[in-house]
Amino acid sequence: MANLQHIRRRIKSVKNIQKITNAMDMIARSRFNAAREALLSNVPYVAKTKEIMRRVMGQMRGQEYEHPFIKTRDELIADQQEGAGKFLFIVIASDKGLAGSFSSNVFKEAHDTIEYDGTSESSSLDSDDDDENFHKKNFDALKGIKPAGKRTPKQQRQMSATGGFARASGRRSGGGKSSGGTTSEAREYNDADYIEGVELITVGRKATTHFKQRGYNIIKSYHGISERPQYKYAKEITDLIMERFESGEIIDVTLIYNQFKSAISCAPDNVTLLPIVTDDYAKASANLKEEYIYEPDVVSILNDFLPRRIATRIYGAMLHSAASELSSRMNAMSNATDNAQELVGRLNLFYNKVRQAGITNEINEIVGGANALE
Amino acid sequence: MATILLEIATPDKGEVYAKEINMLICRSVCGELGILPKHARLMTELLPHAMRIKEGGGETQLFVSGGFMEVTPEKITILADAAEAPDDIDVERARAAYKRAEERLAKKDSDIDIDRAEAALARAKARLLVKGVPIG
Repeated sequence: MANLQHIRRRIKSVKNIQKITNAMDMIARSRFNAAREALLSNVPYVAKTKEIMRRVMGQMRGQEYEHPFIKTRDELIADQQEGAGKFLFIVIASDKGLAGSFSSNVFKEAHDTIEYDGTSESSSLDSDDDDENFHKKNFDALKGIKPAGKRTPKQQRQMSATGGFARASGRRSGGGKSSGGTTSEAREYNDADYIEGVELITVGRKATTHFKQRGYNIIKSYHGISERPQYKYAKEITDLIMERFESGEIIDVTLIYNQFKSAISCAPDNVTLLPIVTDDYAKASANLKEEYIYEPDVVSILNDFLPRRIATRIYGAMLHSAASELSSRMNAMSNATDNAQELVGRLNLFYNKVRQAGITNEINEIVGGANALE
Repeated sequence: MATILLEIATPDKGEVYAKEINMLICRSVCGELGILPKHARLMTELLPHAMRIKEGGGETQLFVSGGFMEVTPEKITILADAAEAPDDIDVERARAAYKRAEERLAKKDSDIDIDRAEAALARAKARLLVKGVPIG
């Protein structure tokens, strides 16, 4: 028979947990309002930047402007043939847990994107955000390219890119490389080999620990800003990636974050920041015939506009992520509170049953004893 | 009278201005620009200054702390770091910022970001000018 004291203790601890989850819910709720406010006031700016970007890039198409960040896909392929650089991913997650599947969703998206090997369907092709996500298209374009000379990180990546999340987490520290081509043998690849072509910038402690554990090369991480992002960090990241991009160390920058949809839903999203591939702006250019006047000139305008655009995008993503994190936490915590409530109810019922059983038992014993005396 | 839509957005305040106007007079890196409806497509960078907006016979001023301007025949889009109506400008803050930037520039340390200090100085100066506050 269950011990009354045990049940009582259990009820108490569940109630305590409930208090904590309830408090976290309330904290998340109040912070969420601020985060949503910040996000909503940022959205028009980001949208307008994107609009301008689309118009300008649409016009750039087919014209020869020399700018390191703007390339046609052919140029991209040419660069890669020279033995080019790494892929950089910026992953924005949270500092703290207890936010449901918030972080793991981002990680899943990140692994999906990082390990994309050109086999999955390009579902993003027809979406409205076409010109924001061409990592996969870049990858597809570069897929068959054999760089002269040594194996580039890119190729190493491809060899093991068939691996999934589970495989990445189950990597072997000393694993010997086998040279097979089948999927089952691909598991044998040492992950370090495949990670080599990837660099990461992480925002949020969770993201850092997650990827560090898996041996990824994290070049920079930001902690303590996930709930309240600041523009200066976005600027810092922008400066860093631009510098590395210009020096040719990296050839593709993709941003992965949770996009805020509503207070109850968010979905991971990935955005290519660099290079800006003009081929993808074909749609926008179709209805644009007039030329822009640039003052003072195209290059200086772009030199100023593009970093601004990238920083804006990163900052926007941080705000999205913050709002998503807090809304996820809000939902997770209010669910936990509800569950605790239900559990307490059930435990109380059980407690009463056990208590009643005890009393009944005692009465039986007394009645039995009295009967025996007669 | 023909009008053109003026939209100003900032990163932390969203769309701060969206109105049909008659004329915009602003200062770009290349000099003063007057923009009328049906202007040719134009992209330029703005300096920190007070723009003059003409609409419905009147004229209003609006401070922008630098940014981008895109002009199409129907619409002017300005992406500014900050945009404030003269009434919203915090004179004390601008004055303090002015002093700080000046001190920083006067020191001429190698570890300060001269571009940033100069930009801050220009912003503060423009803010004070809008309010008609004597500088120095």
